[in-house]
Amino acid sequence: MHALAVRGLRKSYGSVQAVRDVSFTVQPGEIVALLGPNGAGKTTTLEILEGFRTRDAGTAEVLGLDPGDRPSSRILRERTGLVLQDIAVEPYLTVRETIARDAGYYAAPRGIDATIGLVGLAGQERRKVRSLSGGQKRRLDLALGLIGNPELLFLDEPTTGFDPSARRDAWQLVRDLRAAGTTILLTTHDMEEAQALADRVVVLTGGLVAAEGPPSELGGRDTARARIVFALPAGYGPADLPLRARPDGGGQLVIETDAPTSVLQQLTTWAVERDLELAGLSIERPSLEDIYLQLTDDDAPSRKPEGSMR
Amino acid sequence: MTTATVASSQSERGPARRSRSALSLLAHQVRYEQLTFWRNPQNAIFTFVFPVVFVTIIGALFGGGGRSPYFGGLSPLQYYVSTIAALSVLGSCYGQLAVALAMRRQNGILKRVRATPLPAWAYFCGLLAHCVLVSLVDVTLIVGIGRIYGVPLPTHWLAIVVTLVLGAAAFCALGVAVASLISNAEAAPAVAQLVLFPLLFLSGTYMPIHSTMLNNIAGWLPVRPFNEALMGPLSEHAGADWKHLAVLAAWGCVGSVIAIRRFRWDPRPE
Repeated sequence: MHALAVRGLRKSYGSVQAVRDVSFTVQPGEIVALLGPNGAGKTTTLEILEGFRTRDAGTAEVLGLDPGDRPSSRILRERTGLVLQDIAVEPYLTVRETIARDAGYYAAPRGIDATIGLVGLAGQERRKVRSLSGGQKRRLDLALGLIGNPELLFLDEPTTGFDPSARRDAWQLVRDLRAAGTTILLTTHDMEEAQALADRVVVLTGGLVAAEGPPSELGGRDTARARIVFALPAGYGPADLPLRARPDGGGQLVIETDAPTSVLQQLTTWAVERDLELAGLSIERPSLEDIYLQLTDDDAPSRKPEGSMR
Repeated sequence: MTTATVASSQSERGPARRSRSALSLLAHQVRYEQLTFWRNPQNAIFTFVFPVVFVTIIGALFGGGGRSPYFGGLSPLQYYVSTIAALSVLGSCYGQLAVALAMRRQNGILKRVRATPLPAWAYFCGLLAHCVLVSLVDVTLIVGIGRIYGVPLPTHWLAIVVTLVLGAAAFCALGVAVASLISNAEAAPAVAQLVLFPLLFLSGTYMPIHSTMLNNIAGWLPVRPFNEALMGPLSEHAGADWKHLAVLAAWGCVGSVIAIRRFRWDPRPE
């Protein structure tokens, strides 16, 4: 059974179609990232799944239940955790009190001190929330998402405002949660985050799914032609090479190939025989970001978003 | 972040503990509402310092004043002890909820609450119980200061408690209603006060009103019935004033209906 499944999801705000047709599934124990620019429909999709918004059309199933169904909402809230985009914590409670309060809402919560340790707030238990830094408040938010020991966790841009080391820690925590069996659906517009965390990425743009797959295969990344980039020393030109190369416009030469191993050997053998050093020699594959920018290109006529909506 | 502890927690997911009883959930909720409230110095100042200072000043001004027809046969201090007690209940119920809920909605705290399994009734009953507690502390303080200035202690304690609880409930409902109708939290304090301030003057909170017409109009609005209902047991040694309490209850129902129909947890409209 899927941990989560949506089919033909649609949602408009007035005349703005935030979500036009979104379908995807998440398997138990999987980390799936919804990737897309602002206004792509990520948060709206997430909020429909979290039960905060109604949908205009389509089906949605979360842990086998319909998130739009009022009577079952309490069961769902017991079994799911979420971290919203905005930091929302009472300023005058301490870290421990904030977590203990929410722990009291669940039938089978995680341990309070264990949760504080998980998000890296050990030693801060007695501090007032208002005296925490932005990143620490965000961790507290994360702790509130985890305190119910959820089977499924929704993370809406979870590492916004984290410094690089806190971000690494948060990623490790997310991986550890997955290792412990938690299913995670997150939104991000950080390519690196999607690459580092997600088993699968669903790219949304203009309320539609533009592509879906493991980050390493997205948009044919794995099968795309490799680009060998290098520069020739002064006095040599493309005509001297045993292979066809074209200038990339930035003073370097590019060879695109499906067989980078043998092409590279030919090229380097040629250079070594002449005792030449090829400056800036590198092999590139399209990065996730290249693919993402290609997919979410606003000029692509069929995917042009009709309005901006967070 | 320590990583070793994650793996164990899921495997320890035992058979779900039985949901806690409604009463213990409510106690839990009230406890944290109280903590949140008392820790915020603004609340302490607006809810307590103002009424206490007001009664203290009135006491210094009218301390020796005897009973007079201007104050409906009461001494000035007897009159003000009960209207300021009523005012403090308005502040800690209506004023507090209208502002706090609009604020909590705007910064996403309500949405966060909604994401937990805490039932809506527990959240609102917790708020109500919290407001009643704050009101009781407030009224006790004001009656105590009155006593220092020589106002006799009331005798119908049960009537006072009944009036306070009913009044607090009605004004809580109206506070939630106002919070439901305001979408901008910055505007909440201004709107809440704008509605309240003329009503306080009209209802004789700051000075007795001797116009029969005004009193008849104010008698159907929420504040004067509460003033009157509280004045009986607090200053005139009378029992519960059911007629005025009925008007108050009706306003409580109006507030509840608006609150139930219009209350939103989410800062962004659907």
